[in-house]
Amino acid sequence: MKLLWQPVLLALAASLAGCATSRKPAVPPLTGDILVDAPRAIASGPARDRVIWQYRLAAAAMRQGKFDLAKQNLDEVLLTLGGIYGKDPDAKKARSYFRAEARKTFIGEPYERSMAYIYRGIIYWMDGERDNARACFRSAEFEDSDAALQEYAGDWVLPDYLDGLATAKLGGDGSDAFQRAQANARGIKLPPARPEANVLFFVEFGPGPTKYATGQYQQELRFNTPASPVASAMLKVDARQIPIAPTDDVGFQATTRGGRVMDHILGNKAVFKSATDAAGSVAMLGGITTAVASRDRTTQQVGLGIALAGLATTLVSAATVPKADTRAWDNLPRYLSFACLPLPVGQHVATLQFLDSAGQVQSNLTKTITLNIATTDRDKVVFVSDASITPQTL
Amino acid sequence: MMAVLAAGCASSGVKNPSGVPVTHMNADEQGFVAGTGVESQDLVMVADKMSRSILGIPQIANAATPPSIVINPVDNQTRFPINKDIFLTRIRAQLNSKAQGRVVFLARHQMEELEKERNRKREGQVTSSSDPSVQEFKGADYFLTGSLQGLSTRTKAGTSDYILYNFHLIDARTSAIVWEDMAELKKQGLEDAAYR
Repeated sequence: MKLLWQPVLLALAASLAGCATSRKPAVPPLTGDILVDAPRAIASGPARDRVIWQYRLAAAAMRQGKFDLAKQNLDEVLLTLGGIYGKDPDAKKARSYFRAEARKTFIGEPYERSMAYIYRGIIYWMDGERDNARACFRSAEFEDSDAALQEYAGDWVLPDYLDGLATAKLGGDGSDAFQRAQANARGIKLPPARPEANVLFFVEFGPGPTKYATGQYQQELRFNTPASPVASAMLKVDARQIPIAPTDDVGFQATTRGGRVMDHILGNKAVFKSATDAAGSVAMLGGITTAVASRDRTTQQVGLGIALAGLATTLVSAATVPKADTRAWDNLPRYLSFACLPLPVGQHVATLQFLDSAGQVQSNLTKTITLNIATTDRDKVVFVSDASITPQTL
Repeated sequence: MMAVLAAGCASSGVKNPSGVPVTHMNADEQGFVAGTGVESQDLVMVADKMSRSILGIPQIANAATPPSIVINPVDNQTRFPINKDIFLTRIRAQLNSKAQGRVVFLARHQMEELEKERNRKREGQVTSSSDPSVQEFKGADYFLTGSLQGLSTRTKAGTSDYILYNFHLIDARTSAIVWEDMAELKKQGLEDAAYR
């Protein structure tokens, strides 16, 4: 008998050892440095998480002044966003009762997709491609255009403002876009667009929104917007001082999208899980009680059958996964803003101070940028975050 | 036992564990990766239509000497960032290929290099097969340019993108638009409910 089992055990061991293609790619250990972790995760992590790491890497690269790296990753992201139509096996799995939403390929919520387009638009403008920059700003608004409440659809301010500015600089009439931007600015008077301004400052600050799941089975997606230590900024160039107030609140954009179609699916999963759990418990309890209480063999068998069915139903309930997908682009800023001014050819030193809600300068965040303006025919585009490296020379 | 071994092989759960071989496709056919933006089949269709249309106009078909054309950048007014010059590159290549010398394109985008080379010749740094002091850079008879304009809609029912491709030829002497043609495409798609 022992001899008979040996080859079976050996074959089983061989079959396990020989199964070389594991179901899940190994997740590389994280170092905490996105510029290290993201390339590793993109190269060897799960394909469904690739976009999230590309998002994070792009934002980090922007703040490090590595715009080529950001461009490369954003271009790949935008290809994924543009080709998401139609059947998607991973998305189908994410809708099934027994798989988590996080099984799907991550592309992010509309505010995350809009931010990808905004960052890419900034880089296009840096490269002198104003019309492609404008295309990105239009796509940023477009990603936000199917909010549940129409008043929050396509209500980013800066993309419309930049759409208008790019159009005006290209010789067109950007007034429609400016009007849309002003209409969405919610009480803020936007500065008039200055097509003659050849130096553009894109400014971002504060920690952006994160996601969490709530509800009995964590089926409800919610956003957490931490308080920002920075409320505004002050730009000093040569002898000029330009106050910079936030034009867009990324946290507001995250929380005003409204319900998703996927929320209904997750809600159905939660109802199914709850119902099967309750039915299974009742059946098990009733079946066992019947089997124990009865002395009739047939009744006992029926009771055990009901208990087994209840167990199966409970197992189905346990296997149901209604948890919302909380993967997030977690290094987004809270606020976006913008300033532009005309500067003559030559070297200029710009200082950007970040201020708290009381107007006090957060001196540890101050950035210095040396601008070398070679020509006034081409825009000098400056991207500054409160997390940017300093000093920079552009 | 063999069935158990075969069934147990852990490639299950991995999509295309052997990969997907490279698929050769014609540039004018829609691949299995498609979006609602500008794609190669659109480029081919639009560039073919425009180059055929240009060749038929009397200013080119009946010109005594081949007219010189300068290509100006296309204005992309859609929501899709694209390599906008690719349209004019294809139109130019197709015209050069099919027109058999009936049009001449001027390399204005290379002017800086061309001027440097001419200056080298004038200064005797390099040889010259003709008198370098004579101005031989040609002026344009026509400018060829275009625009891409879009209308986009996004609702719960899906995404719809309409793009109007417009190209025109402008007489450099009179500013008259001597030729204009357009092509239009509309695409619609709906992403999986998991993304909505």
